[in-house]
Amino acid sequence: MSDSDLIRSARFRQEREDDWRRLSDLVDKAETQGLHHMSFQEARDLADLYRQATTSLSIAREISLDRGLLDYLEALTSRAYLSVYAPQQRLGGIVRRFLTTGGPRAMRASWRSVLLGFLCMIAGALTGFAFYAENPEWFYVFMPSELAGNRGPDASAEYLRSVIYGEETGSGLGAFATFLFSHNTRIAIFAFGLGAFLCAPTILLIFYNGLILGVFYALHIQRGLGWDLFGWLSIHGVTELSAICIASAGGLKLGLAVLFPGQLTRRSALRAAGHDAVKLAIIAALMLMIAALLEGFGRQLVQDRTTRIAIGWGVGALWLSWLVLGGRQRS
Amino acid sequence: MTTIALDRLLPPEGVPLYFRVAGIGVRLAAQIADLLITGIGAVAIFVLVLTLDLISPGTAQAIAAMLFFVIRIPYYAVSELIWNGQTIGKRMMKIKVVSADGRALTTQSLVVRNLMKEAEIFLPGTLVLTLNAESLIPSLMSLAWVMGVLAVPLFNTRRQRLGDIVAGTYVIHLPKPILLSDMSKAVRPPRPAQTEFQFLSHQLEHYGAFELQTLESYLRGANRMAGPAEHARRKETVAAIVAQIRQKIDYADAVPVADQMLFLETFYKAQRAFLEQRQLFGDRREDKHHATSDKR
Repeated sequence: MSDSDLIRSARFRQEREDDWRRLSDLVDKAETQGLHHMSFQEARDLADLYRQATTSLSIAREISLDRGLLDYLEALTSRAYLSVYAPQQRLGGIVRRFLTTGGPRAMRASWRSVLLGFLCMIAGALTGFAFYAENPEWFYVFMPSELAGNRGPDASAEYLRSVIYGEETGSGLGAFATFLFSHNTRIAIFAFGLGAFLCAPTILLIFYNGLILGVFYALHIQRGLGWDLFGWLSIHGVTELSAICIASAGGLKLGLAVLFPGQLTRRSALRAAGHDAVKLAIIAALMLMIAALLEGFGRQLVQDRTTRIAIGWGVGALWLSWLVLGGRQRS
Repeated sequence: MTTIALDRLLPPEGVPLYFRVAGIGVRLAAQIADLLITGIGAVAIFVLVLTLDLISPGTAQAIAAMLFFVIRIPYYAVSELIWNGQTIGKRMMKIKVVSADGRALTTQSLVVRNLMKEAEIFLPGTLVLTLNAESLIPSLMSLAWVMGVLAVPLFNTRRQRLGDIVAGTYVIHLPKPILLSDMSKAVRPPRPAQTEFQFLSHQLEHYGAFELQTLESYLRGANRMAGPAEHARRKETVAAIVAQIRQKIDYADAVPVADQMLFLETFYKAQRAFLEQRQLFGDRREDKHHATSDKR
C-alpha cells in the first residue's frame, strides 16, 4: 500500500515506529542490566527517544483514534519514564553521605524534639525516684517483673551487688542478640512508630521508661550502690538511653507535624517531617547496635566501676561530637 | 481490589501518564514472596552459625530473631534502591514503587517507606504472633493496630499505606508495551472484479470513537486463527455486525457474504479517517450520542 493511501494517523505511526521499537529495546536493556551498564550512546539515545516518545504520545492523544497505538505508546512512555527517572545513587555514596553530613545535620535540625525526648525521660526518672522515696512499694507497680528479675525492695544489698559485678552466663554474641530484643529496643521502636499518633503514645512510653529507671535507681541508692549502678548503667546506658530518646524524638517530629502542620497540609507536613525523622531513627538504630556490643562484650570484660563510667561516657562524648561537629561546612 | 484505579502522574516533561494502581492483593503476594526470601536467607545463615558452634543453645532463639531482623530491614530498602523501586517479590508480581510527584525515587523516600513498614506491620504483627492468652490486652491492641494499618490503603485512591504517605510514594502495575498492528493498514486489496466500498460523509456521521475502537478490537480478534465451529460462529457475528452497520448508516448496496470482512475493514478505515479529521477540527466525538449530548 502506498503512503498516500494511508490516513494521516497511520502515516504518523509509520514514520515513528522504528524509533519506538528501538526505545522499547533500550528500555528492556535498562531494566534488565541497569543504566550503569549501558554505553554512553545507548543512555543518550534512551533519554532522547523517551522525550520523543512523550511528544509522540501527546500528539497521538490528539490526532489518533487507534486504540492499539494509544495503549502501546502509553505503556511504552510510562516504562521509559520509569527507567529514565531511576535513582542514580550508589550504595556506598549513600552510606558515606549519611554518616558524614546527613545524619548529624538532621540531628541538629531537630534539636528541639531531641531535647523534648530527653526531658520526658528525665521527668519520668525524677518522678519514679520521688515515688520510691515516698514508698518503696511503688517499685512493684512500675517495674515489669521480667525486667527486674529478683531485684526489688526485698533483695539484699549483696545480691544487688552480685548482679552488678557478677559473671553473666552466655557468650558475648548471645548477650548481644538478647539485648537487641530486650525491653529497651522495643521501647525505642514503638516510641518512633507511635509518634505519628499525635505524640501522646511516645511521650507516655518514654515517660514510663523514665519511671522504671527512676525507681530502679532509687532502690540502688537506698542500698548505697548508687555509684556502682551508675557504672553498670553507664557503660551501655549512655548510648542506649540516648538512642531511645533520639528515636522518640523522631516519633515526636512526626506527631508534631500532624498536630501543627503550619502552612502545609497535614500530609505534606508529615512528609517533610519524615525526612529528618527517619534519619533520627537510623541514628538511634546505629546507637542501639553499639550499645548492644558494649553490653554484650564490654560489661563482662570490664568489671571496674571507674573504667565502666569512663567507657560509657567516653562513647557518649564521641556520639555527641559526631552529631555536633559532623557535616558542618568549612567556611 | 474491585476497582482498578488509574492514576495520573505528571513527569517533568509535562505529558501526563496514567498508571494502574496496584491493589492490596498483589502487594500482599509480593510481600509474602519477599518474606519467604528473607526468611530462607536468615535460616541459611542461622544453620551456618549453628554448625560453626559459636553459640549456646539458650541464646539461639534470640540470635535467630536478630538475623531475621538484620537481613530483612536493609533488604527492602536496598533492593528497591538497586532495582528502581522493585524488590524480588515486586519483580515477580510486576509491580513497582513510583514517586507521587513524578520525579525520580529518592533514597530518602525508599528508606522511609520501608522503615515505616517495620513499625506499621511487622512489629505489631510479630507481637500478635508471640503474645499469648496471658497477655490478652496487648495482643488485642496490636491486632487492632494491624487491622487499622492494613485498612489505611482502602481509604485513599492510590492505595497508599502510612509509609507511602509519609514517603510520598505509591505502587503501580508495570505497563506492558505491546505494539499491535494498525487496523487501517490491514484492509485487504479488493479482488479485480469487485467494486470497492464507498462511504459518503453523511454515512460516517453516526458513530463516535467508542464504536470505532470497539470495531477495531473486534477486527483484531477476527484475524486470529480458529477452528471450524468457531469459524461458523464468527461468520454469524460478522453478518450481524454488517447488518447493524448497514442499517444504522443507511448503506443501500448489498454486501456479499464473501466480502463482509472487507466491508468492515473499509468502513473502519473510512470512519477513522473521518473521525480523526473531525477531531483535528476540534470536534471530538466520544460515542454515537455525540450529536445529542451537551457540547462542552
